[in-house]
Amino acid sequence: MTAPDAARVSLVVFVFVTVQQTLMVDLRVGGVHPDVMLLLPMAAGLVGGPARGATMGFGSGLVADLFMPTPFGLSALVGCLVGFGVGMATVALDRTSWWLPTLSSLVASAGSVVLYGLLGYLLGQPQMLHVDLTRIVVVVTAANVVLAVPAVRLVGWALPAVSTEGMPTSGIGLSR
Amino acid sequence: MAKPRRSRRPRTTLVILVLLSVTIITLDARGGFGRITSGVKSVASDAFAPVRSGIDDVIEPIGSFLAGSVHYGAVRQQNQKLQDEINRLKLQDQQAAQTAAAMQQLSALLHLPWIGNLQTLPAQVIAYGTSNFASTIDIGVGRDDGVQLGMPVVASGGLVGQIVQANHHTSTVRLLTDGASTVGAVYGTTPGSYAAVSGEGAGKPLQAGLVPSGTVLTRGELFSTSGLNGAAYPADIPVARVTSSRSGLSSSQETVVLQPVVDLNHLRYVSVVQWGPSTP
Repeated sequence: MTAPDAARVSLVVFVFVTVQQTLMVDLRVGGVHPDVMLLLPMAAGLVGGPARGATMGFGSGLVADLFMPTPFGLSALVGCLVGFGVGMATVALDRTSWWLPTLSSLVASAGSVVLYGLLGYLLGQPQMLHVDLTRIVVVVTAANVVLAVPAVRLVGWALPAVSTEGMPTSGIGLSR
Repeated sequence: MAKPRRSRRPRTTLVILVLLSVTIITLDARGGFGRITSGVKSVASDAFAPVRSGIDDVIEPIGSFLAGSVHYGAVRQQNQKLQDEINRLKLQDQQAAQTAAAMQQLSALLHLPWIGNLQTLPAQVIAYGTSNFASTIDIGVGRDDGVQLGMPVVASGGLVGQIVQANHHTSTVRLLTDGASTVGAVYGTTPGSYAAVSGEGAGKPLQAGLVPSGTVLTRGELFSTSGLNGAAYPADIPVARVTSSRSGLSSSQETVVLQPVVDLNHLRYVSVVQWGPSTP
């Protein structure tokens, strides 16, 4: 990854963090706010494949963890698993399909929330399952489904357009 | 013809990142690394504060504009000037009501009979929880104002929670309802009636443990901080009131459900009690 690529990725992560910490945390439905940071590993997995999905999930998760009272590193762990999972699950699919970002966002967001609660529980934070998981899944997933396409386009613009892991490039990012 | 081998790179990357994440989580939970991550969080939060504040300043007028537009749409046949005037007056009225509510909360913070001689530091609530998995609020005072980890936070009715992250100019408060919150409490008039009041997650009532089966509790009975030696809170701060209590057939403890005395969903101003377990 070249310096301009790294700068683009950093810019996209910064934009997502800013949106999350300013707009989303105040946008509450039934006491739950959307979590757009979960879109980053999903989009990177979709655009760049499993390795890049995992790397983006780890990096963006660590950044997200800086602003949360939950265990430091937990978002990074969930992010790398989800980014890898989306990358692997979509290897054989036509990544230019219009419905793929939306479907990936639906599954990845719901999976991320559940995984987050479960891993927190397993890592000694039992209170993380004392939340209304269904409500969180519904709110987070609904918001991320709406924002999936622009998120994938932004991440596609940021990630270098080279074929990785023997897979075709997505062609669904913004053109540079 | 040899079959093309699938690259192992993604899996290797995943294994490395998972191990790295688990290592970070483990180190954060124990030992001195937790202080490092806390410091990094503090720096990030301080660095991000101007961005958050700037964007809030931009968003607030847009929100007011949108609210005004919605109202305008409902009465679009009316005279434009009259409508603007009505909107302006309504906005003024709302602002006056908000100011009055804020004043009420602030003046109530000046009269906390149960706080005694302890010093308090008033603070504005600047954000509600940044995670869906924890019940927290962010307040607009930090280490530079004298806030330290573990300090109790109160509002006009009683206990709100405890400082769990102190940055330079802001702090994070874990609310009573958070699943990780436990408060040592006393109830009733009988000496030695101790209980542990625990949070059960955002929006859920509190539960009291250690209350012996058969204890008679009336609805509305107050639980206050115990202030026992080494406790996390000073004594006599109202915590919660009983909403229901029942004895299990085989349990040695009452199942006691409580409601916090403070409305934790509508906090605007709180006070940080400058107290630590070693404070007399």
